[in-house]
Amino acid sequence: MTAYHQLVGADQVHGSLYQDPGVFAEEMRQIFSRGWVFVGHESEVAEPGQWVTRRIGRAPMILVRDRSGALNVLANRCSHRGTALCWEHRGSDSSFQCTYHAWNFALDGTLRAVPYPAGFEKDHAALGLDRAGQVESYRGFVFANLDGSAGSLADHLGIGGSDMIDRLCDLSPTGSIGLGPNWLGHAVGSNWKMWPESDNDGYHLNWVHASMVSSAPDTYYQETVLGGESGNQSRAVDWGDGHVELDFRPSYRRELAWLGTSRDKVPGYCAALESARGVPAAARLLWDGPPHGLIFPNLFLGELNIAIIEPIAADRMVHWHTAVQFEGVDESFNRRLLRQSEAAMGPAAFIVPDDAITAERMQLAMSATSIDDAEARRGWVDMSRGLGREERGPDGRRAALISDETTNRGFWRQYRTVMAR
Amino acid sequence: MSEDRVPTCDEAERREIEAFVFREARLADTSQYGEWEALVTDDMQYWIPAGPATGDRAAALSYVNDNRARLATRIRQLQTGKRHAQTPASPMCRAVTNIECQPAGEVAGEYVVTATQIVYELAAQSSARLQVWPARVTYRLRRVEGRLRMAAKTVELVTATEPQPNLTFLL
Repeated sequence: MTAYHQLVGADQVHGSLYQDPGVFAEEMRQIFSRGWVFVGHESEVAEPGQWVTRRIGRAPMILVRDRSGALNVLANRCSHRGTALCWEHRGSDSSFQCTYHAWNFALDGTLRAVPYPAGFEKDHAALGLDRAGQVESYRGFVFANLDGSAGSLADHLGIGGSDMIDRLCDLSPTGSIGLGPNWLGHAVGSNWKMWPESDNDGYHLNWVHASMVSSAPDTYYQETVLGGESGNQSRAVDWGDGHVELDFRPSYRRELAWLGTSRDKVPGYCAALESARGVPAAARLLWDGPPHGLIFPNLFLGELNIAIIEPIAADRMVHWHTAVQFEGVDESFNRRLLRQSEAAMGPAAFIVPDDAITAERMQLAMSATSIDDAEARRGWVDMSRGLGREERGPDGRRAALISDETTNRGFWRQYRTVMAR
Repeated sequence: MSEDRVPTCDEAERREIEAFVFREARLADTSQYGEWEALVTDDMQYWIPAGPATGDRAAALSYVNDNRARLATRIRQLQTGKRHAQTPASPMCRAVTNIECQPAGEVAGEYVVTATQIVYELAAQSSARLQVWPARVTYRLRRVEGRLRMAAKTVELVTATEPQPNLTFLL
């Protein structure tokens, strides 16, 4: 096992952790098999028989709702000879039938029938599909862990993970969100860990996104992250357990700034929210807006976008995203969210492609950094910014200026804990 | 209407349309953003869907779903010189072939043009990998003050349903 305690310090991490294939393999086991990971949203499989394909780490899985309405996270692999059962991104079926020898599986993964059964002596009950050991959802967000010994989802989400999901869902008049009709995949030649970092880095925007700032200068990023240290009230928050947030709430100067609009432009939404929550609570929600943060290790809540960080190899990953859709609002409001999502995220958007290039440049620069370099004091990545001015809350959370690397340190602290366990 | 009865362009129209399409391709290849933008109409729609270009384009997430204002922002961003994802601009060359054109029918002076477009792009900003972007493209061309202009370009990537690398040049 790699010496993670030595490679992840309080204020620095070693570059080999971004490129070493052995480290990548250990991450798939320690983080993605042993821990909770986000797999999808209940609205994607709203009806029995609906399924989507996902990866847990590198393992191909199917998220499916069975006839009883229960959610199942099954291995996308026939238990007979290992053939993939689903090869499209989504679908709806009454059962899964393997194309090789026509073994047929119920939506809950149990083996229903095989052709010419007389030749088999094994009990069908022992030949169901492999499945995630635990599947739980919180306000529609479905999480799973393969090993089945990760404790409760509530413990994993902790205060911060639950709070961020709550703040997002509470903005929907029904208290539930849906997702956009499709996910877009952004293929990046970087290690997956550049994304928990850059998605939640409050220090880089003035430089990485300089072209967006000058060509579309009226976005809410002006007041939330770009204003410079002296005038900016946003906070970089480490909630603990690897969940981190760029908290923009203190910076907003008006309601609905996070949507780039005002009450008179979206009266139907505001009325629905007031009706559901009451006038004072709705006013607070309209001011505070949605969270911008990471739920460790692979779910990014980017205001009104949702992203999955999917590792492919030490130097490859996919940043999947879709838009949040609210329930109980008119269609034009949700269409607006789709258009905003297209502007922000994805391979052709105005923001994230510049993060992708930065991540790929990091990968290039660290591609030859080996674990042996650490002792020779080569190849370290500095993450010390603002360490000395973090404030500790009574619940353990750390917070500092938006431009401080508190969020990145929070991710890596959890990384070290789970990798060294 | 059977295929052989679809109204066709005459030879002069066809030559003019091909010359326009090849010029548009060259300006995109060479990242001459201002010159490329001068080819488009005030209601230009630039669309790169994440699957077949069917159904209501407003109802799904697309890679690019630009009305004229958003296209202007896209070009303005590229022209800042600080768009890291296109700094330097990707060296590219594209083949535009299998061109078919016909009058749009309902509007005089408009044409629907379909073609196969294959772009070779060097990701010079980072990996220096050669990337290939095969697609079917549909243009809607309109005669404005005697000259052809582009009112719509739809690019249906062969790989549309799969994850894409950075796509920040003009496709």
